[in-house]
Amino acid sequence: MPEPELIPDSTQNNRWSPIEMGVLATMVVVFLAVSLWRQTVEGIAHNPYDTIGIIVAAGLTLIMYSFLYRDNPLFKIAENLYVGISLGYATVMGWREALRPEVFDPLFRAPTETVLYDTLLHRSVPIILGILLVTRLSRKYGWLSRYSFGMLIGWGSGMGIAITTHTFILKQLETAIGPFQGAGQHAAVVPFSWPWMTAVALPILLAGIVMIGTVAVLWYFFFSVEHKRAGGALSKLGILFLMVSFGASFGYTVMGRVSLLIGRVQFLLFDWLKIPR
Amino acid sequence: MNASQTQSKKLRQAGIVRRVIFVLVAVAVIVPYILKPNLPGEPNHWAEEVYKRVDTLKPGSHMMLAFNFEPSSGAELYPMVRVVLMHCFKKGVVPVLMTHYTNALNLMKQVVAESATQAKKKWGKDVQPGKDYVILGYRPGDEMLIVNMGENLKGAFDKDLDNRLTQNMPALKGVNSLRDLDLAMDFASSGTTQMWIAYGSDKFGFPLVAGTTAVQAPDLYIYLPPSGQLKGFLGGLRGAADYETLLCRSDNVAVEGPANKGMPSQSAVHVMLVLLILGANVRMIYGKFAGKRKV
Repeated sequence: MPEPELIPDSTQNNRWSPIEMGVLATMVVVFLAVSLWRQTVEGIAHNPYDTIGIIVAAGLTLIMYSFLYRDNPLFKIAENLYVGISLGYATVMGWREALRPEVFDPLFRAPTETVLYDTLLHRSVPIILGILLVTRLSRKYGWLSRYSFGMLIGWGSGMGIAITTHTFILKQLETAIGPFQGAGQHAAVVPFSWPWMTAVALPILLAGIVMIGTVAVLWYFFFSVEHKRAGGALSKLGILFLMVSFGASFGYTVMGRVSLLIGRVQFLLFDWLKIPR
Repeated sequence: MNASQTQSKKLRQAGIVRRVIFVLVAVAVIVPYILKPNLPGEPNHWAEEVYKRVDTLKPGSHMMLAFNFEPSSGAELYPMVRVVLMHCFKKGVVPVLMTHYTNALNLMKQVVAESATQAKKKWGKDVQPGKDYVILGYRPGDEMLIVNMGENLKGAFDKDLDNRLTQNMPALKGVNSLRDLDLAMDFASSGTTQMWIAYGSDKFGFPLVAGTTAVQAPDLYIYLPPSGQLKGFLGGLRGAADYETLLCRSDNVAVEGPANKGMPSQSAVHVMLVLLILGANVRMIYGKFAGKRKV
């Protein structure tokens, strides 16, 4: 006879055992009781919107964290609520802050004829191009959106290519070769002295490492030639540099995720449970 | 025990281990709030550079704060904006806030209100909208908006978030484009900093610093000096804590602030994770040797 599962394996099935259902119901009751105790009935009466908002936010936070145990209907509800509210809020704010003041009001609520003519003169083309973008949703008339996309891509390329080349390539190249150029400016410094080491040798060494690493990583991604012998060794060096950078990114990402958890814990402790700061 | 039972047992064990780690992380975050340890920490060089840039601004200078994050990144960036705004109010610098995100608008108002309250409490500064600060709000367009602001700021934002005309606003006196700014800072949860560097500071020549989430931080080191495209930068909650430390030291008061409150928990979790990773690696290497010896 198989042993009863105290902690069911959630990868095997989605059924909740009676113990799990009981624990979940108890936790909901405890949450409501703690919320009423810490937020107090007076708090709700005095400042209902903020207080109820804190209770709802705390509840949704804990529901989201319930996923760490296993997927559950409450988590699904909270997840869909999050997506829906974000989209709804963004839509309303987009209408309020952009579409209404820039399109609707100048066209349909212009205070004077002069303003209306000015709107028609200066804004009609952008408004029409914006509407044409929406035709993308139609199979029959979707070709009309190409005019708008053409404008967007044309403007983007025209602005972006020069700026991107300057900012992300040329400026970085300048920085990479700068230490080699700068060595000449320190000709008066005594070679192999401490000032020489810090002003000349160390920057050149570091710049050299960066240059070798850049070439090695670029070589790793060059698949037109088989990576054999020296090319293979350079490719392996590129992988090493990539691993170091992924490690640094991973470390920062862990710090970022922990910070988000800390933010939520601060909210739960200081705003929901009202523990003194 | 057959293969599928062994597999099932391993999966169950992995599930238990996973949940134990979650509980350990929760304990590592919560316990420091109860024990309140006083951990030493020195601000890093790039946080000091951002602080110095703001601290050396004269009263009446204009600093643009590009508020480019949503509540989902608020845990890292809200304390950062809060402390930088407090510093601006303390120095009499006029912060000019704008955003590329619709979801950031109410958060902007909230952080300005909180910073203004703190500035009044600590330094007796009574800041007024339209005079001591301005919240321009949101306009669509990303890069186009930056270029538009760079050429005509008041044309890009003819009204602020509270519908005041920007044309003769005292807070924007002398600022007609991004070129007239004394400093700009991008608070970013995505790639907006690169956008501000390319279409903003490189094109219009104003000094730019950044405050980003920790996930974005590694991508921005290449823009710091010697490249100089970014003059300084705050990375994640640690960056916010560094700035709070510098501000408190300038006032000769004990270090405080929401970011610093989170640092003991941050340290505890990092130590715990390092120990777990080391332990797992030791176990793996031991398992490899044990397996070889059996053969």
